[in-house]
Formats: sequence, structure tokens, C-alpha cells
Amino acid sequence: MSFFGFDATLPRDRGHSSQAPGFGQAQDAFAGLSGRGAADDDDAIDFEETYDGLGDQLDETDDTFNDDTFGNDKAVGKDFDFAGQTSRVADAIEGEGLLWQAKQPPPNIHATRHTTQPAKPAKSGYEPYAQPTYIPDLEANASIWGINPKRQAQNQQAHQRQETNAAAAPAAPARKMMSLEEVEAMMLAQNKKPTPQSMPQAQPPPPAAAPQPQAQYPSHYGQMPSQQGGFSGPPQILQRPQQPPPSRPPPKAHAELPGHAIPPPGQQQPTILQRNRQSVPDQPARHTPVQQAQRPPSQPRQILQNPNRLSGHGQPITQPGQQKQGEFQRGPQLGPSHARGPSFPGVVTHPEQLLHLTEEERAAYLIEDAKRAKRNHKIHLLSKDNGLMTPQDKNFITRIQLQQLMAATGGLEEHGPEAALTEDFYYQVYCQIRGAPRQNPHQPASQFAQTYLFQTGGRYGMGRRHHRGGDNHMQRMEQQVQRAVEAAKAKPKNKQLVIEGSLGKISFSNSKTPKPLLNIKRPDHGDGAQGSGRRPSGVNAHGSTIIDRKTTLRNIENVYDCLMKLEDHERRMPPPLAENSDPQTIQAHMEWQTGTQRLHETLWQDLKIMEPINPNSLTPHPFIAILSHAKGKKAIPRIFRQIDEQQRIIMLTMIVVHLDMLSVVAKAVPSPDEPNLSPAIREEVELFSHAVMPPLFAHIAESPLNIVIGLLGLILDRTNLHLVTRTKIGMSLLTMLISRAELVKQSTPEMNPGDWEQWMQLYNRLFDAVEPVLPSIFPGSVNDTEDVYVWQFLAAMGVGASPEQQQRLVLGVKDRVMDTVAVSKALPAELASVRLGHVNLFMRAIGLDVELLG
Amino acid sequence: MSDAEETASNPVSEPLDLVRLCLDEVVSVKLRGDRELKGRLHAYDSHCNLVLGDVEETIYITEEDEHEQEVQRIIKKQSEMLFVRGDSVVLISPFQ
Repeated sequence: MSFFGFDATLPRDRGHSSQAPGFGQAQDAFAGLSGRGAADDDDAIDFEETYDGLGDQLDETDDTFNDDTFGNDKAVGKDFDFAGQTSRVADAIEGEGLLWQAKQPPPNIHATRHTTQPAKPAKSGYEPYAQPTYIPDLEANASIWGINPKRQAQNQQAHQRQETNAAAAPAAPARKMMSLEEVEAMMLAQNKKPTPQSMPQAQPPPPAAAPQPQAQYPSHYGQMPSQQGGFSGPPQILQRPQQPPPSRPPPKAHAELPGHAIPPPGQQQPTILQRNRQSVPDQPARHTPVQQAQRPPSQPRQILQNPNRLSGHGQPITQPGQQKQGEFQRGPQLGPSHARGPSFPGVVTHPEQLLHLTEEERAAYLIEDAKRAKRNHKIHLLSKDNGLMTPQDKNFITRIQLQQLMAATGGLEEHGPEAALTEDFYYQVYCQIRGAPRQNPHQPASQFAQTYLFQTGGRYGMGRRHHRGGDNHMQRMEQQVQRAVEAAKAKPKNKQLVIEGSLGKISFSNSKTPKPLLNIKRPDHGDGAQGSGRRPSGVNAHGSTIIDRKTTLRNIENVYDCLMKLEDHERRMPPPLAENSDPQTIQAHMEWQTGTQRLHETLWQDLKIMEPINPNSLTPHPFIAILSHAKGKKAIPRIFRQIDEQQRIIMLTMIVVHLDMLSVVAKAVPSPDEPNLSPAIREEVELFSHAVMPPLFAHIAESPLNIVIGLLGLILDRTNLHLVTRTKIGMSLLTMLISRAELVKQSTPEMNPGDWEQWMQLYNRLFDAVEPVLPSIFPGSVNDTEDVYVWQFLAAMGVGASPEQQQRLVLGVKDRVMDTVAVSKALPAELASVRLGHVNLFMRAIGLDVELLG
Repeated sequence: MSDAEETASNPVSEPLDLVRLCLDEVVSVKLRGDRELKGRLHAYDSHCNLVLGDVEETIYITEEDEHEQEVQRIIKKQSEMLFVRGDSVVLISPFQ
């Protein structure tokens, strides 16, 4: 061990002590990294394998003796700036190196070609990763796990060859490279002490650079052309992925000094280097080509793992010797005549150099250096496994974890949908009913999805309907109105979504109605709820209230009972039939279908919908009575899924016929003395429009004109239109029918003229019936904002109206229009635009605009 | 019950099934300890454990004032949701 930490022995005799690159103890922290150093000695062996933890065992306390060694009176200045002054110096040096190289006799090149050629196959397999666009295969790199004997052998071989070569010409230490720090330090020293005289002194044979420096030069320098220029083709390919670090001067120097470039042997050099340089901007961490070729195979991995570190301080780890050696050797050759070159070897490696520095500079330099080194070491330790996993690997792991999570919460895999149901029955059913998108791949998709999520089945002839959430239906209805109103740009959106079971509403936002965040439902007053909640049945059936009530409740329970059985039955659907199904499966299917059939019949009976209608009865029709209960309303969407097309029409007809008897209509007519509905009634109306209306709307939206005609006719003939038009439910239903008819007309030009004739008659009847009550169809006062449905109705009416009828319409609601416009002037801008938007629904339908009212 | 002729699918086949008719309806519940509840019945089980929503609880307290006169005091409480343990339930009836 020499004084400065250079190992004077030949490489094969060297131990790990040689890892100190030349700084001696000052480089302690670097040495800590230098499991690396060991690897460097030994090109072909993976870092992972050779790293013996020595770095961790290093005793940093010895740092205290640095001062003894180097003196402490002057600190090294921090004023070396790499990018400016310094890099220029480095460029010059590099150029000179090239010059020198060019002067070398050719035989050496041949010799070294052999030396380095073996190093070429030392591909790490990581080169592709260096390309930004490279997408790695999913295969783990076997070498990570140390099970890649082939490559190792290869590397070993390469290494050995190199080793022998190095032994022959004692240039082996040439593989040690200089760290950026060292380079910078040297440059600094150079600038400080450019005196050529100092050079010879500054050049005591660097111990690590072997006893006879002169003898090394040929072989060492021979390597450069051999790598950079000597191999014209292969190195390019090899080197391209691993590009030189932008911060390192050498490649730059090459590229910028093409004139200096070596003649014949180095002909290719500029190309390579320039290419490397081209890619500099997008790749922060790269190695000089020189380093690449000699780099042990594990190096690329380190680049990968620590892409940002290597460009600067990280470098000493990887190439402690090589470059340094180059510089050392270059020094004497260039001689004192070159102002900067000679001093190069300087700063830290030579006491002379240190002596020339001021004490502060030196101290500062050392401290700085040690700090950086330590930090790099830490970073290196932390990040040494960076990039081991590809994104696909991570995905894979995530999936495994998810799977385990699922398994832990019920082992859905093993027990199938049954277990899933027991696990979270309510969620499953909720999903079925709402048709919520499957959120994880483990939600049993197969029959479950078939059965519930999309009722496309066609098994019961309800194929064309997709039952989604009620809001969709509301939206669809509104959209239908929308489409009917050609000019209406302001889209009446369903402003809120009330999720069943939640306390709040989710509001949608659009440009017209900015989202009011959460709208917490007012807690229901106990008194109000009971008081009016009971009334529907009681009022309709004087006297025998209690008996009827109980009967209705029992009917509802029956319906639910059957409904649950039916839904459960659906969950037990045997696997779908295939052509080659075994008889057992077919048998199971037959039985299952029989069961379904039977349950459907029971359900239909339980609904009591086919009970004869007795117009004079004091008690409401049993089905309508069911609808007067909240739980009855809630059952409708579930029932609607189960029944077939014909039954749906019947149900729709029943509801339409009894429209004015529905509690949500009969009880929801605002009276002069009580313009606002009670909270309980409001709640009922709300529930009705969220539970019962959507399926009805969905049905109407796909009905042919004759059904629409029939339904409107029933309303006109059988119900009290004045009651109907004054309630939200009645109005919505009318809107739906009218807009559907309008749409049918627009979409099918070749419509049966007879049908249309019939429709126009009904429409005119409706118009005449509605016209007198136009002023009273609005709920509450002008300040009541919940009048969208009325404007929708008016819009629907307006679209189909004749010019004369439109005029009458306008006359009928003129006051309300004007009032609303006036009121909205006093409102904040957003609210005002909402209100005006509603009015515009109607106005645009008849070709006007609120703007015109100025 | 007058409709004993109902079929086996009759939901009322045991006493507790009458409670079932009150599901999702407002019921009054009388409890031990001079308490009464009035609320929407969400769920029940065979022990008469109940889950009620929008509940108003009434507690009747008899106190003696300084003249040794018995004074009735009534405390009312509102709860959004209530679980009632069945062992304190004395009576369940539909709210009239």
C-alpha cells in the first residue's frame, strides 16, 4: 500500500485495498461505495456478486487523520465550475489525449484490440433499458437472481483475458477511472497552478498506475482507439444505448475537436461520438464510450438503478481507475509545454498538488468531497434496487395482492356466487338493481351479470330494455323533451341524484346549474310524516280503513315474498345451455324455467293488478293501494324487471287509469290555502318519481304511437285532468306521452296518417282541457324554483301546437313568464340563468326566447 | 284473524308475521321502564329486536315534589336510527 492509497502491486496480486482510487483515506466515503472498486478490478464479475459489504464496514473515523495527511492550513476553494472553465480544460486535455493517441505506433492498437475485444460481449442485457422508449419484457433478468451462469462465464472469460493482458503490460490499473470530483479537482488545481515547472514534481509515478508509467502508455492508450475508433462497426452498436454523460467532458471533447481526431485508426471516432453527443440532452446519465467498453457488466444496471447519480459523483464508483490512469499517463507525455495538461494528475492524488493549494481550499475541498461522497453512498444504497421491477411486474404484484384481498374476504373463487351473496348480499342485490358497473373483476360476472346487470336476456321477452338507474330514465325523458324542442339549447338536466339509502343527494353540474355540492335532505319531522303518511289509505276508504290497510299491507308482503323468491330463483339459474350439454343440465334448466314461470304467475297474482276495476268503489283498486305505500312504490322497479311486455303495458295502463287516484296525485294537489305540499307528501312524490316513474318512462319511451294514443285517451276519458295537471307526477306523465308522440312523428315520416289524425284529435282535446287551467298549473309562487316540469310540459305542448295554439299557450302562461323573468333579474346570476333556462325550454319550443323579452 | 282461509303463502302464519306487515311503516313500541317509541320500523327479528328510524322516544317519569305530590314528567328524545333490544319490548302496534 503506497502512501496515497495506490496499490503498487500488480492487479492479480491486489486485494480490495486497491479500491481507494487514489485519494487515500480522503476518499473514505467513496471507498464505502467501492464494493464497486472490487468489481472494477474485475471487469466481468457482477457487482452484486462481488460486493462483500466492505463498504459498510469501512471505518469512517479515520477521516480525522486526513488533516494529518494532507495538512489543514488551507482549504480548497469551491470555485471550480465544471460547465464553464473546467470543461474547457477537460476538452483540451481530451484533445491532447487524442493527439497523443494518434501518434502512437499502430502495433499497440493491434495488441489492445485483442485486449478489449473480449470485453465487448460483456453485455449486461440492460442496454435496452437505456433507451427511453424501450418497453421491457416481462421476463425477469436472470442475472438479478444470480442464476445466469452463462453470461457470468462469458464475463469471467472476458475478464480473464483482460487480466492477462493487463498483466503483460502493466496497464491494468488503467481500468481505474477518475471520478468527476477528481477530474474537477485536478482541473481546479491546474487552473490554480498552471506552472509547468511544478509538473514533473506533480507526477511522481502514481502508485496505482504501476511502477513504470511509460511502459503502460502504449497499451493503455491503445485501448482507446480500439474501442472508439478501431472497431468501426461493433462499438457503435454496442455503445449507442449507453450514452455518455453530458456532464463529462471527454466525449464532448472528442466531438468538438474532430480536427484533433486521430487519423486512420480513429477514423470512426467522430461518428460515434457525435452520435453519442446527439442524444445527450435526453439522457442525463451516461458514460463515455471509453468507460462503456471497459465497464464491468454490472455497470449498466447501476446506471439503471441510479440514473441520476452516476453522471456526477457517482462515477468514482464505477470507473475509479481508468480515467485517472489515462490522465496520469497523459501528463508526462504532453509534457511541461502544455500548460494545463500536466497539472492534471494533481490535486488530491499528489501531496504536491495539495501543498500548492491554500489550506482553506484544501480543507473545503476535502470536506465537500467527503460529504458528497457520503450522500452518494447513501443514495446508492437506497436506490441500488431501483428499477428492478418493470411496470408489468408491479401490476402483477398488485393483482396478486388484490386477489389475496378478495380471497381473504370470503374466498369468492372457491365458493362461487353463493359465497359472494352471503358475503355482501345487499351490495350484490343493489348492484343488480342499479346495474352498477362491476368494480372489480371478482364480482361474479357470469350469470349474475347476465341476469341482473343487463336485462337483455330476452328470456321473458323484455330484451330491448336495459334497466339502469332511475336517473337515467329521468334523463332520458328529459332528453326526449329536449330533442323535441329543436331550438332548446339549455338542457334540463336532472339536477340531483338521490342514492337510495343515503342521506344526501349528489348534484350534477353543468354550465347552467353549477353544482351545489351536497344537498342534505331535511330530516323528516316525525309528526308530519305520520300525520299525512297514513292518510292515503284512510282517506280513500272511509270506514273500513284498517281492514283495507291491513289487506294492502299483506298484499305488499306477498309481493315482496314472491319477489324475493323470484330473485333468489334467478340466482340459482343453472349454467347456460350449450349444444352438447348433458341431460342433467338440460333437466335442471327445464325445472328452473318451470319454477320461474310459476313464480312469475304468483307475482302477477299477488300484485292484484287484474282485479276488476270498480269505478264506484270507495276503496281504491288493490294495486293502486299498494302504490300508496312507500314499500309498494319501492317494489315497482323490481317487479318491472320481472314481468313481460304485455304485463308492463297492463301495469302502465292501470296506473294511467287511476292517475288521479294515486296518492301522489290526489294528495299532491296544492290547495289555495296550502300552496306548499307537506314534507310527507313531497317525500312520497319524490319516491314515486324515482321509483315508479322511471320504468314507466322507459316503457313509454319505446312505445309505438298507438299505445301513446291509448294512454292519453285514458287520461282524458277516465281521470280528472284538472287534478292531474296540477301535480308533478301527472304533469310528467303527460309530458312524456306528448313528447313521445312528437318524437314518433319526427322519426317516422311514413307514419300511418290515421294514427296521427287520432293523435291530433286527442292533443287538441288535451289542449282545450289544459288551457283554462294554465295559470294554475304552476306550483307555488313565482319564487318556487321547482317548476321545471311545468316548463317541460309546456315545451312539449308547444312543439306540437299549431301557431294559433301556441299563441294561446303564450297567453295562458304569459304572466308566469314575465314574473319569472322579473324575479330572475333580482336573483344572483347563476340562479337567474337557471330560471331563465327553464322558461326558455318553453319559449324556444315555440320559437321565442326570453332574451326577446329584454 | 278473519282470513284464516288464506293459503300457505299467507305471510301471516305466526304472531310475529303481523309485525312484518308493519315493516317500513310507522309503529309505536311500548318498552319496559315507562318508555314509548314511535318510529319507522326497518327491521325486526324473532327476539323482537327492532331497528327503528326517525324515532321519537317518550319517557314518563313520576317524581315527588316537595309537598310529596306525585308529578308526571315527560321527556322526549329524537333519534335518527335506533336499535331496540327485544327484551325490553312490551308491545308493538301500527301507529294510528
